[in-house]
Amino acid sequence: MFTKKKIIAFLAALAVFLAADLWMFSALKGSFAKTLGESQRQLATAVASSAPAEAEAVPAWLQAAGTSYPGVGLLYLRGLPGIDAEVAEYGRDEALVALYREAAASPGFAKGIESASYLETYLSTESYQVGATRARLLFAPVYNETRDMATGLVIVALDDSKLASFAGLADSLAIVAFALFALAFGVATFSRDPLTGYAILGLFGIAAAFVAYPLFQALKLTFLRDGRFSLSVWGQVLGNKQYLQALWGSVKLGCLTATYSTVIGFLFAFAVSRTTIKGKKLLTALATMPVISPPFSLTLSIILLFGNNGLVTKRLLNLEGFSIYGLGGLSLVQTISMFPIAFLTLSGVLQAIDSTLEEASLDLNASRWGTFKRVTMPLAAPGLLSAWLLVFTNSLADFANPLLLAGSYRVLSVESYIEVTGMNRLANGSALSILLLLPTLTAFFIQRSWVSKRSFVVVTGKPSGRLSDLASPGVRRALAGFIILVSVFIVSLYGTIVAGCFVKNWGIDYSFTLSNIGEALTRGKDALVSTLVLAGVATPIAGILSMIAAVLVVRKKFPGKRLLEALVMTPFAIPGTLVGISYILAFNQPPILLVGTGAILVICYVVRELPVGLEGGVATLRQIDPSIEEAASDLGADQATIFRTVVLPLIRPAFISSMSYTFVRSMTAVSAIIFLISARWYHITIQIYNFSENIRFGLASVLSTTLIVIVLAVFGLMRLLVRQSENLEKTVSVQ
Amino acid sequence: MNKQSVPVRLEKVTKIFKDPKTKTDVAAVNEADFEIAPGELVTLLGPSGCGKTTTLRMIGGFELPTRGRIVIGGEDVTFLPPNGRATATVFQSYGLFPHLSVFDNVAYGLRVRKVEKGELKRRVDEALALVGLSELAGRAPSRLSGGQQQRVALARSLVVEPKVLLLDEPLSNLDALLREQMRVEIRRIQKALGITAVYVTHDRVEAMSLSDRVIVMKNGVIRQVGSPSRIYEDPDSKFVAGFVGKVAFFPVTLEGEDGGAFVCSLSGKKVRAARRSPGVRSGDAAFLMARPESLRLGAPGAGVADGTVSANVYLGSSVESFVSTEYGEILVQIDDPAEKKVWPEGSRVSISFNEALIRVLPGGDD
Ligand SMILES: Nc1ncnc2c1ncn2[C@@H]1O[C@H](COP(=O)(O)OP(=O)(O)OP(=O)(O)O)[C@@H](O)[C@H]1O
Ligand SMILES: [Mg+2]
Repeated sequence: MFTKKKIIAFLAALAVFLAADLWMFSALKGSFAKTLGESQRQLATAVASSAPAEAEAVPAWLQAAGTSYPGVGLLYLRGLPGIDAEVAEYGRDEALVALYREAAASPGFAKGIESASYLETYLSTESYQVGATRARLLFAPVYNETRDMATGLVIVALDDSKLASFAGLADSLAIVAFALFALAFGVATFSRDPLTGYAILGLFGIAAAFVAYPLFQALKLTFLRDGRFSLSVWGQVLGNKQYLQALWGSVKLGCLTATYSTVIGFLFAFAVSRTTIKGKKLLTALATMPVISPPFSLTLSIILLFGNNGLVTKRLLNLEGFSIYGLGGLSLVQTISMFPIAFLTLSGVLQAIDSTLEEASLDLNASRWGTFKRVTMPLAAPGLLSAWLLVFTNSLADFANPLLLAGSYRVLSVESYIEVTGMNRLANGSALSILLLLPTLTAFFIQRSWVSKRSFVVVTGKPSGRLSDLASPGVRRALAGFIILVSVFIVSLYGTIVAGCFVKNWGIDYSFTLSNIGEALTRGKDALVSTLVLAGVATPIAGILSMIAAVLVVRKKFPGKRLLEALVMTPFAIPGTLVGISYILAFNQPPILLVGTGAILVICYVVRELPVGLEGGVATLRQIDPSIEEAASDLGADQATIFRTVVLPLIRPAFISSMSYTFVRSMTAVSAIIFLISARWYHITIQIYNFSENIRFGLASVLSTTLIVIVLAVFGLMRLLVRQSENLEKTVSVQ
Repeated sequence: MNKQSVPVRLEKVTKIFKDPKTKTDVAAVNEADFEIAPGELVTLLGPSGCGKTTTLRMIGGFELPTRGRIVIGGEDVTFLPPNGRATATVFQSYGLFPHLSVFDNVAYGLRVRKVEKGELKRRVDEALALVGLSELAGRAPSRLSGGQQQRVALARSLVVEPKVLLLDEPLSNLDALLREQMRVEIRRIQKALGITAVYVTHDRVEAMSLSDRVIVMKNGVIRQVGSPSRIYEDPDSKFVAGFVGKVAFFPVTLEGEDGGAFVCSLSGKKVRAARRSPGVRSGDAAFLMARPESLRLGAPGAGVADGTVSANVYLGSSVESFVSTEYGEILVQIDDPAEKKVWPEGSRVSISFNEALIRVLPGGDD
């Protein structure tokens, strides 16, 4: 806390550190300038000493010097101005000649010429504008044969920008070092609870370095042209028909997918929570399956079934001119993979609607249909919109499905990928993925401002546990038929992937083989191993960090909490392609050279999965009586001990699910990491993509199946671990 | 008194909260300034929202005072975190660790202090025996009754041998009978160990029966500090008088002193009162405060205020008669109803005062 003594001690320590900091970095700058200057001077002197005395030899020398000394300017004066009667100018570079003519009489030039007459070299202290660059000038004498007199001089322009950029870097490092010291020391001195202070600082640091900074870089790039502010990138993007087509394509696809998914999701949710249909557990499991299945797998089986050489389209029906590629196929595969989101949202909503309301309506002699229309639907409406928006955002950010299945149909996420990797137009790629944010943000704000206000009306009581049966037998039969149809389709999709593993050459030769398995595992082994390793490293980091963040958000008061929360949550809302592009922009040069390392992938996984873990942690922690942690503190435990012995055990379910989600999502990532992988650190999903692109469907099927097995195993393990702590959960939320 | 007992002093302690909705500052505790003697049990008493919990939490270190100092045993602890203070809190909701057994709950503080195993077991067993829970050491807290949970919380706090014990409405979740038992139990243990204790409650009976001294708060301000009997008999304000017991008020004017008694006029009639709150001067408008046991009923015209008995409530050893008068409904307590006359409902009566027990309070609404 702030007492006079502490403040004085703090300021004194800051002053000492500042002095040391400045001294160190100025020494560093000085020695860098010296080495740089020395080597440049040597080179320039060597060039000067080779200058010929005869006029005829000069052009040839200039030519040669031009190649051996690629500096920013070279000027040879035969004869010393002001001493010799005749001075001939031989300039390699117009700009330097112009500068000389203009400033020959200036003190700097006079000094240089004078030094040359004394047979000394002179480096100007001030820098001059030579053409586009700032440069310092080196004046070196040209000797006569006996080397006792100057017959002329050579002026060499030495590029100053390297030094300037190093100085800039050193200055910013000095400032960063000072700021870090001031913060850390400030926390240690003034905070009642330094550990929490460090945790906050650390999280801010992570959020600033790996969320705000890269996004800022991406945004900045779209407003630059040749290092200057310009709107030309945006002008180009917004004026380009192809890009706008892609934007429209994304939105159209999003709308279709969201609508189909909401309808199917609602029918499933209705069947589970408002009818007496059998096999609800199985139904729920089936309907949630696609949400955790790896990318490309459903697309792959759609291609296997309905592609140009597909089992159904070619073999069974032999359709001509049918193509699954494009809007139709995309909305089909997205609906299958995203209707579970709508299903989960809507079953939550339907279960939260107090069924006594519906019973009351039925009691009042309303028909089932009337009850559904006048009670259930109005109450579920905000939930429906909410589900629609959620699927819409997901569809927009989807990258994997369109990558394989879009054909000539354009969507933004793929377009920005092509801009970056195919055309190497990073600025356009950034702009496109930022453009993708617009509909996403719109959806988000509608959700925030409209839906969330309405949803208070929806939850009118605790789930009553009882069901009101709103389906007449006929309706129930129709519903069951539809659900069975969808379920069978989902099952056959997964079946196809498995079958694909054992087929020699899908579409042409359907004979049984085991050779795919061996080949896929040999060729995919490295990718599989590095994916497992990196996901394994990211998992505990993301798990612990998200729980720490949850504690800070729920339990601690500190300035900037809202900002920190927003920063940590941001990667959840932005499309993976934007994350990927911004990471290459931010981390591809010193001092933070991470592109090509495994670290950047780990960081990417952690940053992208933190939001989910944080949400889970926050929700769990809010259920826990804060006096439990206060009691621990009261009994003498410090913050670290409380976290370890009380918080973690109590939020174990959230901790475990955060970790398993991180692991699974890292294993199945595509959109961001496709920009970040390297030959050394490859990713299994990209391997699947490559196999599919090369029509090696057998290999792709094997890897997909492997991935599905891993994902299922992880979720199974999680359920097992979480169930063990369910008893605990109950007792925690009693108070 | 235990020789380890320490005093606790609050010096002009103020806590200001920002109201999350209106963004205005609210003083939850305003310039609280009092000292608790070593080994003393003091209760903080007041209506809901008056700042009792906030005061306690500042002593425990869970809340930082906006202004002021907190001194425990001579050491300024204002800025120390809870784990740096010799206090132990029994929370209203107990705050038991749900993932640990009763034994491990109690052992937690000792484990944090790295107490050696044998001693740890001995001390935990001792603490459990003290609260009578030795047989339940292996249970999970969720499988205990409210009273048992409460005792685990108490044992957990006591086992670390705190210098100051802080209790925040520890009995509010218990039923009436258990509450009475636990009250006695807490008092016994606190006295036996000689711990300085601060006890928060809004139940006046609990405060009166438990404490050495009572601190009455309202709206973040301390209204009066004193022993239970002083607070009951000699309150200094209408608020305190009303909060700590049943009472009737009569609007009077203080006319002067006469032979140790204070003479007031009540609607023109002279009334003598033996006690007076220091804030009241001659000529002031004041209130005469009368507890039910300081009033007597007589035939109409005999006393100072006439009225009609509207109801009689028989309580066994006494009867409470409610009398409607021009000053409102007045409660009169009749002890030994067998010997004294109980006036039937509907009869006209007159109320007279027991001069020694009635007190002149300042005018105004509280
Ligand atoms: N964290 C907080 N933020 C804002 N206001 C608070 C906070 N804690 C308490 N208050 C306010 O301070 C005032 C005093 O609260 P406190 O909990 O101390 O009351 P209390 O006397 O313990 O009441 P109760 O008998 O209901 O427990 C209340 O008006 C309350 O709303
Ligand atoms: Mg309270």
